[in-house]
Amino acid sequence: MTNPAQERASRLAALPFQTSESRSSGKLGAFAGAVREIFSHRELLVLLVRRELKARYKDSSLGFIWSLIKPIVQLLIYYVAIGQFLGAARGIPDFAIFVFSGLTLWGLFSEIISSGTSSIVNNAGLIKKVYLPREIFPLAAAGSSLFNFVIQFAVLLAATIALGLFPFSALIVYVPVGVLIATIYGVAIAIALSALNVYLRDIQYLVEVGLLLFFWASPIVYSWSFVVAAAERTGLTWLSEVYLWNPITLAMLAFQRGMWISGSKDTVMGQDAAGVDIVTPAQPWPADLDLRLLIAGIIGLVLIWVAQRVFSRLQGNFAQEI
Amino acid sequence: MTELILQDAPAVIKVNDVSKRFVIRKDKSLKERIVNFGRSSKHKDDFWALRDINFDIQSGTTVGLLGANGSGKSTLLKVIGGIIQPNSGLVQRRGRLAALLELGAGFHPDLTGRENVFLNASILGLSRKQTEEYFDSIVDFSEIEEFIDTQVKFYSSGMYVRLAFSIAVHVDPDVLLVDEVLAVGDERFQEKCMAKIREFQLEGRTIVLVSHAASQVEDLCSRAIVLKRGEIIFDGDTAGGIGALRASFDQ
Repeated sequence: MTNPAQERASRLAALPFQTSESRSSGKLGAFAGAVREIFSHRELLVLLVRRELKARYKDSSLGFIWSLIKPIVQLLIYYVAIGQFLGAARGIPDFAIFVFSGLTLWGLFSEIISSGTSSIVNNAGLIKKVYLPREIFPLAAAGSSLFNFVIQFAVLLAATIALGLFPFSALIVYVPVGVLIATIYGVAIAIALSALNVYLRDIQYLVEVGLLLFFWASPIVYSWSFVVAAAERTGLTWLSEVYLWNPITLAMLAFQRGMWISGSKDTVMGQDAAGVDIVTPAQPWPADLDLRLLIAGIIGLVLIWVAQRVFSRLQGNFAQEI
Repeated sequence: MTELILQDAPAVIKVNDVSKRFVIRKDKSLKERIVNFGRSSKHKDDFWALRDINFDIQSGTTVGLLGANGSGKSTLLKVIGGIIQPNSGLVQRRGRLAALLELGAGFHPDLTGRENVFLNASILGLSRKQTEEYFDSIVDFSEIEEFIDTQVKFYSSGMYVRLAFSIAVHVDPDVLLVDEVLAVGDERFQEKCMAKIREFQLEGRTIVLVSHAASQVEDLCSRAIVLKRGEIIFDGDTAGGIGALRASFDQ
């Protein structure tokens, strides 16, 4: 019985059969099955993330620095154009930190969605030829976006230290909450859109428009206090309530609450002609922010489940539609 | 023939009543779809790439899938590999399965040979530790030691497929699905590939191969399945299979 072929045959005879339909049995079971399958491919996920990161700036001499140049230029534009020319900085203390916090979190969310949406189509070669749990591709896109976020976040922290505004308070627990919510929604949307994009390539152009819309519908370059003021001025207070339904608004508020300490205290911003200090009061924060964040988090997790079900419905025909 | 006769070889692949239909939409743009909404059935063409396919494959056998172009061979191989879901029917499989449908499918041109070995081995199901273990042997077999740290976009096509083949044969599959890529490179390397395949057969691995080369099928396979327009027209020994294939051309 030292015959390797015979040994292999007896080993195989003991294995249970796997069927191609096993993933669609029962809704919750199928989701758990997909999660288990992805978990068993976690080494591949790490390699795919590294491939994305390595391949992106492979032949450029500045390499990773490019992923920082864009947000820093954005920061300058918004700081000068919105902050100084349009005057938003007058009502927002330490406007640079405020804007860069917003841009950092927004960069994470928008990169997960835009790179995730095209991830399936971009990996057509693999999807047509090898069986893998395909959710791994949008997840790898999310992983490389998170890596870029960490670098940009380090720059943000360095800036707060340089300006003496390091967020040294209990409010810092809001930071991971904001990041988590942005990631959950980004991943859910990326998984669903990556699958739809295979059938309707218009999705990737739609995503650009949608992201532009959400960028301005979230308090990134203006603060929540502007929204409150506008709602009071026009008498449409329900509008600020609608504004808060946007999960990215909530993620953004949580992140700013933690990173931007000047928003949570009275700040002296120069003196008027008579030599009296102009004091900007602490920023208003929406009531029940904690509860809203909790609800947004739960809805986000349900959305991930929905997105995975949509993905798994659509993925059967990927190989022939791509 | 290096075929082994095993006692009670277990089935590793069971294909039960598998059918696959392809739908070809003629209107691809949104405007066309909206205009033709409701009448959409007129603007769809469908055909059965596979129809009621049934067979079992026993462990340790080498099976050739034969047929004219467009007869459904490659589709069948993809259904077996789980890359395409059938519309009806069931495919059951067990053991580690590796699909060699295209060599180097997962290669990224901007990464070095070394990075691609790890990535590709992981795609085919090896863990990092196993890849490290086999790494020297993979590079040895491919004969491209000098260039392993060069980006693969600078490889010649021969080097590219040699590295890809070398990774594929090191993933230790129980079942190997092969689409026309059994022998690559120059003549000497092709001989090396064929020797490796024979070694695989001696180790009792199951090989399902799509090929147009009758001589290769006759040489390697113990069983041939012939497809015509998505249906099995012959399932049996290779000589009979090649005969059935030739007959299907003449009709």
